[in-house]
Amino acid sequence: MEKCTGCKVCMLACSFTKEGVFSPMKSRIWILREESKSMFVPVVCEHCEDAPCQVVCPVGAIYRDHEKGIVLIDESRCIGCRECMWICPFGAVQLNLEKRVAVKCDLCNGDPECVKVCIPGALQFVSAKRPTATKGWERALKRSKALEMEVG
Amino acid sequence: MYGWVGKILYVDLSKEKIWTEPLTEALGKKFLGNRGINAKILWDLVKPGIDPLGPENVIIFGTGPLTGTTAPSSGRVTVTFKSPVTNLFFKTNVGGHFGAELKFAGYDHLVILGKAKKPVYIWIDDDHVEIRDASHLWGKDVRETDKIIKEDVGDKDIITVCAGPAGENLVYFASIMASVYNAAGRGSGGAVMGSKKLKAIAVRGSGQVEIKEPEKFYETALDVRKKLSQDSGAISLHLYGTSGSVAAVNELHAFPTRNWQLGHTDKIEYLTGQYLVEQGYLVRRVACFGCSIGCHRYVMVKGGKYAGTFTGGPEYETFSALGAGPEVYNTEAVIKANELCNILGLDTISTGDVIQWAMECYERGVLTKEDTEGLDLSFGNEETLLELIKKIAYRQGKLGNLLADGLKRAVEKVGKDSWKWAMFNSKGLEQSRVDTRVAKAYSLAFAVNPRGPDHLHTETFAEFGASPEAVELIEKLTGDKKWASPYYTEYRPEIVRWHEDCYAVTEAMGICVFTSTAAYAVNPANMAEMFSYATGIKMTEEEIMFAGRRIVTLEKCFNVREGADRKLDDLPWRMMHEPAPTGPGKGLVNSPEELNKMLDRYYELHGWDKETSWPYKETLIKLGLEDVAKQLEKLGRLPKKTVKK
Repeated sequence: MEKCTGCKVCMLACSFTKEGVFSPMKSRIWILREESKSMFVPVVCEHCEDAPCQVVCPVGAIYRDHEKGIVLIDESRCIGCRECMWICPFGAVQLNLEKRVAVKCDLCNGDPECVKVCIPGALQFVSAKRPTATKGWERALKRSKALEMEVG
Repeated sequence: MYGWVGKILYVDLSKEKIWTEPLTEALGKKFLGNRGINAKILWDLVKPGIDPLGPENVIIFGTGPLTGTTAPSSGRVTVTFKSPVTNLFFKTNVGGHFGAELKFAGYDHLVILGKAKKPVYIWIDDDHVEIRDASHLWGKDVRETDKIIKEDVGDKDIITVCAGPAGENLVYFASIMASVYNAAGRGSGGAVMGSKKLKAIAVRGSGQVEIKEPEKFYETALDVRKKLSQDSGAISLHLYGTSGSVAAVNELHAFPTRNWQLGHTDKIEYLTGQYLVEQGYLVRRVACFGCSIGCHRYVMVKGGKYAGTFTGGPEYETFSALGAGPEVYNTEAVIKANELCNILGLDTISTGDVIQWAMECYERGVLTKEDTEGLDLSFGNEETLLELIKKIAYRQGKLGNLLADGLKRAVEKVGKDSWKWAMFNSKGLEQSRVDTRVAKAYSLAFAVNPRGPDHLHTETFAEFGASPEAVELIEKLTGDKKWASPYYTEYRPEIVRWHEDCYAVTEAMGICVFTSTAAYAVNPANMAEMFSYATGIKMTEEEIMFAGRRIVTLEKCFNVREGADRKLDDLPWRMMHEPAPTGPGKGLVNSPEELNKMLDRYYELHGWDKETSWPYKETLIKLGLEDVAKQLEKLGRLPKKTVKK
């Protein structure tokens, strides 16, 4: 989140990939910018283990793809009731105003377009096996800085 | 429509009328968009001789055919109006997120006419456009205004542009602030808004931009973005912003210091982008809409006297104008000065130029303690710097009022040769922080710039030969690499003219000029390609550059219609008569002889008359500006002679 410059190109790449047009409204990732607090935060589906959207969906349109480990919406079954939008703790589900169905990030089949266009590297696609590996390494290197300097 | 969304929104504040007109493909083909179409609208709507602060002036916000797409750095907006400072054509370009939002709301351009009876703001919510009461916003600073409008509307994601108190008080260098910390700084657009009682414009757009050949466009745009991300200039801009280059310019002894008396300071460390990072002032690197460079920065002072100061910047210009210029080398004080200018809505360049001119007047005894109402105007006095910024914005006291009028008017009141150390030229604008004595293409570009002496109409960065791409470009334009040095006067007209066209095309697309004239990843060829894929109108590199020339010429003609001629194409006295004091360019000056020689060749290249600088009828007809030629002919402002073969 420190790297995000708030350029919103991820939103354009998303709407283009998913809907064929450039329209932030149709993006499934949303960048919130609060200038006065210098707060730039991407909002996107977290693919929760116990996904509230999946639980509340009255028609079973939201399901988990266990193989890929992600939560998906079957648009053909969605009735556009918006329950999932309200229950999502992240605000990551949108209503597509043309199709009148709920839409959200599906991680582009494992190759998210938003990550590809994020030049500052704020968005990254990391392995589910040890998603915090990078963070762990960063912290470890910081703590051992003295030693690292001696050696390197 | 593809590329453009196809609509121009008009708001007449006098008649309280709102309507739209189509943006035709013919108009788009001729003037491309953004700065280009803005210039055409201004030409059509503003009659010569009108008062820039009267209801007859218009203010135009323009997006481009590539705004709101993945084209690199395509979030720029041009704001065009007749300037109260110069009484001439003015366009000022700004980043942030307003342009994209306006376009997603369904408008390529927004044209504001007339004058409201009481303070208003314009609220644009897609098709719903409304003139709203702004009496609760009048007097509020930029940050407060943005916050209150967002509360009024009940949506934190909307984008605002506004004038600060300086604009309300008709200060002659009041900026228009977009997305809080992005400035359409120059020419006093803020005062034009203030004169119209227009406090702000807020917009929310939920629409889309359609592309004629989406796959090809997306691929090309992505390629250019990748190229840009590897460009050394772009990387440096991301890491340290424009102020990353301060130390290098200081090394060349070209960093205006002590009201341009000096070009070098030993205390440069404290005024650099690198220092902001190292000392932890930088809190975030920030991008305009769709920009992969992200050269803007937010900084914060966490402790000490200025604790809690938070702002965008300081940019290169600001570090010179509010740092080295008044000789204030305390980083935190400069950040504070920058914050004040941003929230009060003042152009940091002119604010700095005016204050350091007053400091030199004080040093020379031309302004006394009586004139300054007790303020100590010695160079280096940071309290005075901060105090004066506030006095100017609110036009407080004798001194605040004097300085708020800008240099052109202030020297008339002060007299006593004070114009000799006032950094403005015959057009009346304060010069931006480039020492043109030691950068000859810049000197020509500054002199012919229809706005006045600054780098934001045409930048000729390539003449420094600072990157392989720059050297290559100079070779292409002049036939030899050796001309990639700023001290030569040869081939400068050729270099300026190419950059003029390229700069105009870049801005007309809605793209940031840093991508094409500081970094070189974006160029006329790939802009023509992106434009063609986006709009479906096929244009070659040559055709798009020709359209750029048309835009540059139309802007020039606006000034010709106002009565401008060659006499206005000059530089501040200090640049033309006082040689550079130190450094590798020591002794160089922009002498009238030197400048005249370059001007002759420049006019000749353009097909303009050398005596008057007015474009020949043939030149205008060749550019498809027959209507313009007709109007100028009627006014007797076409050169008598014809083009020499």
